[in-house]
Amino acid sequence: MKRHLVLVVSAIVLAAVVGLSILLVTRQPVSATSVPSALVGRSAPDIAGSRLSGGNFSLAAERGKIVVVNFFASWCGPCHVEEPNLITFAWQQRLKGVVVLGVVFNDTLAAARAFDAEYGTNYPSMGDLAGSLAFHYGVTSPPTTFIIDPHGHVAAEYVGPLSTAQLTDAVARVRA
Amino acid sequence: MILTWLGRIALDVALLACAGGVVAQSRTIRGHRSWALWWGSLALAGVVGAVGVMQFALITHDFSLAYVAENNATFTPLIYSITGMWSALEGSLLLWALILTGLTVAVIRHYHREATDAVVAWATLVMFVVGGFFILLMVGPADPFLHNPAHFLQGAGPNALLQDNPLVAVHPPLLYAGFVGFSVPFAFAIAMLVTGRVHDRWPLEQRRWTVLAWGALSVGIVLGAWWSYQVLGWGGFWGWDPVENAALLPWLTATAYIHSVIVQDRRGLFRIWNLSLAVATFAFTILGTFFTRSGVLQSVHAFSSSTLGPALIGFFALSVGAGVALIAWRGDQLRSPIGVDHPASREGLFVANNILFVGFAFVVLLGTVFPLLYEVVNGQQVTVGTPYFAAAAAPVGVALLFLMALAPVVSWRTMDAALLWTRVRIAAWAALAVVVVLVASGVRHWSVLAAAFLSVGAAGAALRTIRGTFAAARRRGDLGSAWRAPSTGGMFVHLGVVVLSLGIVVSTSYTARSEVTLAENQRTVIDGQTVGFEGFSTLSTPLEKQTQLMVTVDGQRLRPAITTFHGRASQPVGTPAIDSNLLRDVYVTFDAVGGNGATSGAQVATNVPAGSVVLGVTVEPLLSWLWIGGLMVGAGSALSFARRRHRDEVAS
Repeated sequence: MKRHLVLVVSAIVLAAVVGLSILLVTRQPVSATSVPSALVGRSAPDIAGSRLSGGNFSLAAERGKIVVVNFFASWCGPCHVEEPNLITFAWQQRLKGVVVLGVVFNDTLAAARAFDAEYGTNYPSMGDLAGSLAFHYGVTSPPTTFIIDPHGHVAAEYVGPLSTAQLTDAVARVRA
Repeated sequence: MILTWLGRIALDVALLACAGGVVAQSRTIRGHRSWALWWGSLALAGVVGAVGVMQFALITHDFSLAYVAENNATFTPLIYSITGMWSALEGSLLLWALILTGLTVAVIRHYHREATDAVVAWATLVMFVVGGFFILLMVGPADPFLHNPAHFLQGAGPNALLQDNPLVAVHPPLLYAGFVGFSVPFAFAIAMLVTGRVHDRWPLEQRRWTVLAWGALSVGIVLGAWWSYQVLGWGGFWGWDPVENAALLPWLTATAYIHSVIVQDRRGLFRIWNLSLAVATFAFTILGTFFTRSGVLQSVHAFSSSTLGPALIGFFALSVGAGVALIAWRGDQLRSPIGVDHPASREGLFVANNILFVGFAFVVLLGTVFPLLYEVVNGQQVTVGTPYFAAAAAPVGVALLFLMALAPVVSWRTMDAALLWTRVRIAAWAALAVVVVLVASGVRHWSVLAAAFLSVGAAGAALRTIRGTFAAARRRGDLGSAWRAPSTGGMFVHLGVVVLSLGIVVSTSYTARSEVTLAENQRTVIDGQTVGFEGFSTLSTPLEKQTQLMVTVDGQRLRPAITTFHGRASQPVGTPAIDSNLLRDVYVTFDAVGGNGATSGAQVATNVPAGSVVLGVTVEPLLSWLWIGGLMVGAGSALSFARRRHRDEVAS
């Protein structure tokens, strides 16, 4: 009888631990926070230049689409956390009028190319080695992400690594 | 690049040493000679080497390591360069590994003569596995020595909140020492279960190691509360934040363990229970690390997020799974032949103690993970706040104080009401007198009155036990032995807990918060304190820029400020100023400035005239008792750790 009790309790504890583990391990980090930015509601500072993978990018040419601008650096740990989420998001939204752009600053172009190659980044990135874009956007530490609405106005700013769900949510809010 | 390679090589050596230790120990278990000290020392040497490389890079501001570039700047002062090692995940793991391998070597050395004993051999093997796991995290996903290819002239500097107060030099290391220390009782619990030798002296032997870890964790938690009180600027010290809860969970189960092991020693009861508590405590340290580092829970402590979540959760499940499976396997051998004779005997009260601690641990765990459960079921985000935890903490605290007043003076096995009354009556009358005085002087908070009554009772029980021990020692003519008696350290801890509880109950019941707008050279009286504002001053150093207010509280000069640290160019942080004495704390914050807000960083209040400031003034009575009680708990634990060895006790 008592032996039974130990076994039953053990089984219950094991089941609870396995359940808790599965729950915890499937959660997305929620460490990105939306920050009040002076830029929100204003027209986004222009971004134009050559892409790391060749060709040019111009923010003005993307009017009518939602643009997600992600400031990153290859040495930044949270950027490594965020990159797979951005890639998933870019793939999910590729036919829905959403453009993702990576802007690398405080870094070298070689390191940024290696970063993109490592993750198989499926959206364009451009270099901001002089840091002038980061300056105009008021970015101090990567990763920082801006959502720019179809009229070219900044809709939101996030600091920290975003999850795919957060990105989807942020874009849905612009569409609403 | 050279530092990256040096650091990585050192970690590889440490990892290989742990693997070598596991292999060597599995041979020792089969009767071969022990090489544990050799492998353990090699692992420690590897980790010390890695820590040395990291410290060298931090102190010389070598930004070729990405970790240094992110957590250090050329103007970071020496102390915050050193503490930078535990400002973020990767470096914290280095500190963790350093304490863990150091402890492993200490355990191996301590049991050197019994190195081939199967229990010691198995326990050492488990320690090598745990050490190897944490080093593996750094060799794999959380590399502290990641190379930074860009040429930086300046790094980002530590998080502003982590360079505001020197307590960051001691709070995290003590917390880690507590967490890591619980791996020793866990290792021995696993060893006892595997070998089936659960009947001999090991459980009580492990109590000393647990007390050491518990003391470090207790002081670490109190210092953490002190840090958040001094830095975060809301006047509180505990917010039931997931990360605070993460440190509290193993503390609760370890406290239960420390008590119930005494019963196993005296009466041979609770064997399964004690092993379960050792496993649970260790598992909670891993789960706590996950809460701190995964970022899945919203927390003020989310200084870093990482991809370590799955690895930590896997290790958590593995350690609980192994423990539970072994307990189920050995269950029939572990049963106690006897039961508790009388519910109000001392062992009966220990059962009540354990139910309270473990029950409260369950309540805290539930509150911590509830937002995640809720989101899965309902898809909405909720937070579980202070009201939920406080509602459970208050009755549990009262019940624990009640037990502290009785358990030390109740007899084992039986309950003799008349004898008990002779033992508690002085304390009971004193407690009643205190309550009468408090009521007469206008105190009406039931929680304060209950806490005062029970605290005097608990202090009386502790003092009575200490006095008895010293009287016996004096009769033997060896007064010094009283300090090393088994109960002295523990009763000293009880006294510390009493002081701490009074601090918590009185300060939270009588907190008076107000906001006041003052023009220059104006003064006013708030909650019995004369507060004056004398003007602005600025402090500019290479590290920071502060806008200070010159404020006087009852003649004491205070300087609450808004501080902007250079480097990260982060949000300015408020730096509160505190005037503290034994009776009350006055906590002053710079909340806003009027007019055009030329003052850097401070929030601007448009409805306040220019040049005036808004001060937050919080008066909290007896708050400093918390820190005094915390120090007493630490001192008592140290006394308890240094007490006579178990074998000496048996001999005497």
